[in-house]
Amino acid sequence: MLTYVLRRLGLAVITVFAITVVTFVILHLPPVDFVTAYAAQVAASGSSISPAEADAMRLAYGLNEPLLVQYWKWLSMVAVGDFGRSFEYGRPVTEVIGDRLWLTILLSLGAIVVTWGLALPIGIYSAVRQYSIGDYIFTFIGFAGLAVPNFLFALIIMYVGLRVFNTSVGGLFSSEFQLAPWSWAKVWDLAGHLPIPMLILALAGTAQLVRIMRANLLDELRRPYVVTARARGLSERRVIMKYPVRAALNPFASTIGYLLPYTVSGSIIISVVLSLPTVGPLLLHSLISQDMLLGSTIILMLGVLTVFGTLLSDLLLMWIDPRIRLGQLK
Amino acid sequence: MPNLSRRGLLATLAASPAAMALLTEAARAADLSASGLVGELQGPTMITDPAKWPKTFQEAPMLAERVKAGKLPPVAERIPAEPMVWQPLNETGKYGGTWRRAFTGPADGENGNRIQSSDKPLHWSADGSKIVPCVAKGYALSDDGKTYTLSLRKGMKWSDGSPFTADDFIFWFEDIYGNPEIVPTPTPEMRPRGKPGRMVKVDETTVRWEFDVPYFLFEDIMAGDTAMGGGQAVRQAAKISFGAYAPGHYLKQFLPKYSSLEAVNARAKQEGFENWVQMLHFKKDWELNTEVPVLGPWRTVRPINTAIWLLERNPYYYAVDTAGNQLPYFDKVQFTLAESLEIVNLRAMAGEYDEQERHIDLGKLPVLLDNQEKGNYKVHLDLGFAGSDFMFHVNQSFTGDAEIRKWLTNADFRRALSLGIDRDQLNETFWLGVGTPGSPAPGESMPQSPGPEWRKKWSTFDPALANKMLDGIGLAKKDGDGFRVRTDNGERLRLQVIAIAAFLPYPKLSEMVADQWRKIGIQADVKEMERGLGFAKQTNNEHQLFVWNNGGTELLYLFPTWAVPVIPGAAFGPDYARWYSTGGAQGTKPEDPNILKIFDLYAEAAGLKAEGRTHNAQEIWKILVDQQYGIGTVGQSPAGLGVRLVSNRLGNIAARVCNAQHCRTPGNSHPETWYFKA
Repeated sequence: MLTYVLRRLGLAVITVFAITVVTFVILHLPPVDFVTAYAAQVAASGSSISPAEADAMRLAYGLNEPLLVQYWKWLSMVAVGDFGRSFEYGRPVTEVIGDRLWLTILLSLGAIVVTWGLALPIGIYSAVRQYSIGDYIFTFIGFAGLAVPNFLFALIIMYVGLRVFNTSVGGLFSSEFQLAPWSWAKVWDLAGHLPIPMLILALAGTAQLVRIMRANLLDELRRPYVVTARARGLSERRVIMKYPVRAALNPFASTIGYLLPYTVSGSIIISVVLSLPTVGPLLLHSLISQDMLLGSTIILMLGVLTVFGTLLSDLLLMWIDPRIRLGQLK
Repeated sequence: MPNLSRRGLLATLAASPAAMALLTEAARAADLSASGLVGELQGPTMITDPAKWPKTFQEAPMLAERVKAGKLPPVAERIPAEPMVWQPLNETGKYGGTWRRAFTGPADGENGNRIQSSDKPLHWSADGSKIVPCVAKGYALSDDGKTYTLSLRKGMKWSDGSPFTADDFIFWFEDIYGNPEIVPTPTPEMRPRGKPGRMVKVDETTVRWEFDVPYFLFEDIMAGDTAMGGGQAVRQAAKISFGAYAPGHYLKQFLPKYSSLEAVNARAKQEGFENWVQMLHFKKDWELNTEVPVLGPWRTVRPINTAIWLLERNPYYYAVDTAGNQLPYFDKVQFTLAESLEIVNLRAMAGEYDEQERHIDLGKLPVLLDNQEKGNYKVHLDLGFAGSDFMFHVNQSFTGDAEIRKWLTNADFRRALSLGIDRDQLNETFWLGVGTPGSPAPGESMPQSPGPEWRKKWSTFDPALANKMLDGIGLAKKDGDGFRVRTDNGERLRLQVIAIAAFLPYPKLSEMVADQWRKIGIQADVKEMERGLGFAKQTNNEHQLFVWNNGGTELLYLFPTWAVPVIPGAAFGPDYARWYSTGGAQGTKPEDPNILKIFDLYAEAAGLKAEGRTHNAQEIWKILVDQQYGIGTVGQSPAGLGVRLVSNRLGNIAARVCNAQHCRTPGNSHPETWYFKA
């Protein structure tokens, strides 16, 4: 068991190193550097940057150096935990991400809780009461949730919010609280802004998970051990919850590997549409503007989280499913 | 206005051509011309006669408190002996309030730089036609055009109370501009005909520029949105270090010259910067550093790299109104981050911004109008002066494909393409009919306009003539689908168009033109590109047709990029631009005599007085329109920065502001004279 964990950890370190190389190479693939992207943005707002000014910027950002030198500089910084300054923000990358990180995690965790809180009971209900009216209704909502792109859903909700309820659109705070120090009023304001993005984020995931849970559970319910349990007189509730549901949970545990990076940069499009101050839009924007240090740090972070999450889900699977645990020990 | 809520929804969700057609009808119903959306150019009046200046001064309550607490000297000591005096547009304003605006992140610094633009040495009048005093009270050019003298205001101060003098110019010239670690490439604006100019201090309030050759154009450069004349806010942000002057008393502590390399590097390390240069770039940037002294009406109190960029009044701002009130009237300016432009437009409709012209989408005009009452704002359309807000820049130095090059450099081919464009259809669909169709020449109200007859030259819709011309130049052969074929291998002739979504949905507009070109047998493939990538391709000379506007070219010598190939990266012919800008050292010399003629006229103009410069610009425009190097469609519209939403609570608001790059929209309508009526 211990050697298994250690071996996995060793592999994880090598994987992370490979991720740094791939990250760096991919980010430098486009024939565009930060200064070109910046000049284009300035041009697109009716102003201009002269070539002499662009030269000065390239010198200041060290973009004239060969790629290998840039990579080595970056790697030796990252190795000691210094992620550098964002080109665009002019602040340490850790601060720029840090500003948004906990709101992002709060929002994503909330969305995950909502997703699971809705998907698990509904999935169980739909499986146990297959082809009942309730099953059909949930199936219908589920398919609609899968089919409607959630950014469209977000736009519609915002427009309705603006026209009908006259609410401020987008963001996580009302304008009067943006600058205010933390207070209960501000927390309350945040709490008022959270449900809509959480629901939108949760919707598509919920629909998907309901379908998975329903299908898995239906498979399990037809197994002979369920019939046996029933025959031996166990209560219906115990029959279903004790074994089939537990077995049907496997796919949930194996998605944990992707849940971790998701909590940090899930659903970029919705965050952009809803103007949420989260890491997702930051990543998208850093890639468009070729803000190298910021972009590579976020991608590296996602890579590390994926590696770590996969490790975690392996361990979790061993824990909830004795079959895997025993297979491993042999 | 009819109820547009359903159409409004469409506009909010997507700008598909079908939806746009609906919007066009709605806009027509509103009858734009009679609706009062387009007003007269207006602005506050500058009082230059000292006899009419106020003798006593008042200040904002928030500053009066600081004076009372002993933290600030009295207002009379803060205002220069020679202030800038404004008679506000309508009435004397009231102090207070926060001007709420939207911004899209730290790369949107221009959002604030433009309203800070009274830190420019000189500026332009409200209608954009004349150079007027600003930081400097005036300038003079010698008869031979080799010396330019700038006169500063006596007793003027930086926002920290230190005197602003000629020394700040010399500091910039010697210690910033003269240091290759900070400025690796000198600006051509300081090197007429390649010969470097010098800056000399005459006395405390007088600076002189000396050049080896006549350089009359320098007067426009010092007033333009240029490296030299742009002002501290824009030219010393984003690691750029131009702007003609800098706060020497503050920045000296970060330069090795005034202590030692070890000392400044040690300080840099301590403050978390790689080296002293990086530290300097941060320290001189008013968007990031709340401590750097400035001259404009505001100073940053919360930096641009957070969710809110907050500005507060500069207690030493050098302008007053005719009643003696120190400007600005607003206490603060607050920019709130919006992650997408949709959010900016939705929030604007909800009345969450007090004044916003930036990032407002012309395509949403009907919905914006529909929400005027609810959002308590009024919509103004500020028409631009540039000839084309959407045009095809034809790459003259393209070498990627000999056959394509042959046609791109053929004048009749370009003219035929231009005659194949139905500009009225474009105008109705994408400009809601408010643009002016025609050639790329600047609007007739601009001095450099070659004349009204050049608006229609080769720029009408005449597919029959276009077809005849294309047949005549050897492209008569067509394939089974009716498209003209290449002369080298008989395959279909395909033109590649690079379109980036900016100002207007350019890729969609290009598709419409490509569709119109089918009627003249021309196949155009529109490639939508991400902004940075599109520009990289263009700079690398890889484009055939590049879609953009020609904003700024109404002042040809200040912003030539989108008209003539004299600055590297010009879509007209990047390789020719390289040749011209390096004096023939790099790039390729054009063979086309018309381009060489343009180069001659352009180079000569820098040494000519205003009249001669204007004449040369008109001659250049005649060649440009006749040769159709750039194919214009619709211009002089509010497509860029021209849809302005103003809260009904604001006073002293112009019916129309100068919408042009040299005007630093809305900078030259002087937001420091706006105020909250209630």
